[in-house]
Amino acid sequence: MIQKNLFADIKAGVVVFLVALPLCLGIALACKVPLFSGIIAGVVGGILVTLFSGSKYSVSGPAAGLTAIVLSSVSQLGSFEIFLAAVVFAGVLQILLGILKAGSIGNYIPNAVIKGMLAGIGIILIIKQIPHLFGYDKDPEGDEQFIQMDGENSFTELVHMINYITPGAVIIGLLSFLILILADKPFYKNNKILSNVPGPLLVVILGVLLTFVFNGYAFFAIDPQHLVNLPSITNFTELKTNLVTPDFSLIATGNFWVIVATLAVVASLETLLGIEAVDKLDPEKNESNTNKELLAQGIGNISCGLLGGLPVTSVIVRSSANINAGAKSKLSIIVHALLLLLAVFLLPQFLKLIPNACLAAILITTGFKLTKLAIFKEQWKFGLEQFLPFVITVVVMLITDLLKGVCAGIVVAVIFIIRDNIKSSFDCSKEVIQGQLYYLIKLPQHVTFFNKGYLIKFFRTIQADSKVIIDGSINRTINRDSKDVIANFIASAQKRKVEVELIKYKN
Amino acid sequence: MNNSYQKLLDGNRRYSLEKKLDDPEYFKKLSLGQTPEYLWIGCSDSRVPANEVTNTDAGEIFVHRNIANVVVHTDFNVLSVLEYAVKYIGVKHIIVCGHYGCGGIKASMTHQRHGFVDNWLRNIKDVYNKYDSELNAIQDLDKRADRLTELNVIEQVRNLAKTSIVQEAWKTRELHLHGWVYGINSGLVTDLKIIHNDKEDIEDIYRFE
Repeated sequence: MIQKNLFADIKAGVVVFLVALPLCLGIALACKVPLFSGIIAGVVGGILVTLFSGSKYSVSGPAAGLTAIVLSSVSQLGSFEIFLAAVVFAGVLQILLGILKAGSIGNYIPNAVIKGMLAGIGIILIIKQIPHLFGYDKDPEGDEQFIQMDGENSFTELVHMINYITPGAVIIGLLSFLILILADKPFYKNNKILSNVPGPLLVVILGVLLTFVFNGYAFFAIDPQHLVNLPSITNFTELKTNLVTPDFSLIATGNFWVIVATLAVVASLETLLGIEAVDKLDPEKNESNTNKELLAQGIGNISCGLLGGLPVTSVIVRSSANINAGAKSKLSIIVHALLLLLAVFLLPQFLKLIPNACLAAILITTGFKLTKLAIFKEQWKFGLEQFLPFVITVVVMLITDLLKGVCAGIVVAVIFIIRDNIKSSFDCSKEVIQGQLYYLIKLPQHVTFFNKGYLIKFFRTIQADSKVIIDGSINRTINRDSKDVIANFIASAQKRKVEVELIKYKN
Repeated sequence: MNNSYQKLLDGNRRYSLEKKLDDPEYFKKLSLGQTPEYLWIGCSDSRVPANEVTNTDAGEIFVHRNIANVVVHTDFNVLSVLEYAVKYIGVKHIIVCGHYGCGGIKASMTHQRHGFVDNWLRNIKDVYNKYDSELNAIQDLDKRADRLTELNVIEQVRNLAKTSIVQEAWKTRELHLHGWVYGINSGLVTDLKIIHNDKEDIEDIYRFE
C-alpha cells in the first residue's frame, strides 16, 4: 500500500512540476523580478508551506494573482530588495492572523468582490503580457496601473509595440496560444498520451525547438534578450551569490507597513480561496484547516522574503493539477519542489532557451481563466446586488490599485446588504375575535437595529381599546434600540387604552 | 381557578391568530374536509401528543387515545374509530404507539387494587400472562415494565389484525399496521418493525376468509 501511494505521489509530483516550472518562470517575468525568484518561491512554497500546511493537496507557490500587487509594491518601494523585506513582515502578519484564527474572515468578504479581484487581476495580466507575446519586451518601470510612469498607459503601450514586433516571437507566441487552447479541449484531455503532457510543457518544448530553428533564419531569429534569463548555478557559492537578500531600510516608513498589510491580506485571501477550491476538488472531501494554513503561509513567506523569492499563496491551477494527477499525500508537492530545484541546477541550458513569448502565452491563458466572459455573465445573472460590487471592484482596481478596488467593492456590497436588512419586517396579525380587536406580533429569532423603523411604524397603527400580543417565544437576540421602541409602546399602552400581553418576552 | 382556565382560552386566541400569520386561509382550508393518512392509537398520557411527536399538522392524523393504547375487540369506542378511519377516511397506516414509563403498564404489573380501572388493566395483565416466563425472568422491575410495554404494543397490533374491519380492508387494498414505542426521556420513537400487511402473523383460527 505504501509503495503504491509512493509511486502515485511521485507521478503526481512530476506532473505538477511540469505545470509549475513554466508558471514560476512566467510569473516572475510578469512581476519583472529575477526569474530565479520565481523558482525560489516555487521551492519554498512546495517544501516549507506544505510541511506545515493545513491542506493535503494544496500547492503553494508564486501566484499570477499577486503580480498586480508585486508590481505596484516594488515600484512604490523603489527596489525588489525592499519589497522582500515587506514580504518577510507580511509572513509574520500571516502567522499572527493564523494564531488569531482569522482564517474564517474570508467568509465575510462577499464572493462578488473576491471574483472581481480575480477578474481584475486576470485583465491586468493579459494586458501586460500581450506585448511579450509579440516579442516586445521593453517594459516601462513596474506598475500595474493604467497610467504608467513613462507617460504611456497600458493601451498606448500596445500601440507602440507594433513598431517593435519580432516575427519569430509572434509565431512562437501564437502557436503557444493555440496549443494551450487545444490542451483544454476534451479530445486532448481524454487522449491517453496527450493527457499526460501538460499544455504548458508542450508550449515550452515547442518554444525551445522553434528558437533553435529560427536562429538559422535572420528574419525569424529571436532576440536573446527575449529569452528566459536564469543564472547558471553549478555550485553552492554560485547559489549564494544569486540569492537576493531583503533590504530593511524602509521599515520606519508608514507606506512600507501599508504594503505589508496589503500583501498579507491579499495573499491570505487568495490562499483561503485556493483552499476552498481545493477542498471542493478533493475526492476524499477533507476539510482543510484554514488557520493552520495561514501559519504555514506565514512561515513560507518569511522564508521567501529572506531568500529572495516571490511571495507565495495557495495556487488553484497547480493544486487541481495535483489532485487530477492522482496525488495521495503531501509528498507529491514536495517531489515537485525538489524537481524545480533540480531543474535549475541541471537544466539551465535548456531553460535559457525558452522565449518569453511562451511564458506570456501561458500567463495570458491563466489570465483568461480568471476573467472569462462566463464569470461576468454569471454575476449578471445573480442580479445587481452581486454584479455591481463585482464590476466596481474590477473597474476601480484597473484605474487605481487592487486594495482600493476591493474596498470599493466591499462598500458597494455593504450598501446592498444594508438595503436588504432595512426591508425586513415582522409577522403581524390583526383580527377581531368576539368583538375585541387583537394584534399579534411575532418577534423573529433576531431583532436588529434595522427593524426599529418598522416597529415604530407598527405601533403607531395600534388602535385604542385593542389587545396587543407580543410573542417573543422564538426570539434569541434583540437590538437595544428596537427593545426601547417596544418598551415605550408598553409604557404608553395604558394611556392609549391598549392591553398588552407578553409571551416569553422580558420588558 | 380562573387563571389556569383563562390560560387555555388565551392560548386558543393566540393559536387562531398565529396560524393565520403564514397562511390567512389556514382554517378555511382545514374546514373543507380531512384526509389524514394515519390512524394513531396511543396512550392518553399527556406527554405523548401525536401531532407534536411526529411533527405533523392539524388534519394529518386521526387519533384515538386510551390508557395503555389497548385495542379491545369489544370496545365500542375503538371499533367505531377504527371503522371510520379505515372504511370511510381510508387511512393507509395504523400506528399503535406505546411509551416507556407508562403508568397503566406499571400499575398492571402489581397486585394492588386501583378501582374500576383494574378491569381495564386486565387487558394488559392478559398480555403479561401470555409472556410470563420471559417477563418473570427480568429481575429489574423497570426493565420488565419496558419489555411489557413492547409486548403490549405487539399484542395490540395483533388485536387490530384480528378485527373484521382490518381484514375486510385487506381484501381490497393495502393497509399497514405498525407498532411503535415512544421514549419520553429522549423524544424518540422506536419502530418495533412488526409491520403487518396481512393476516399471516396471527393464529389460523382468527383469520377470516
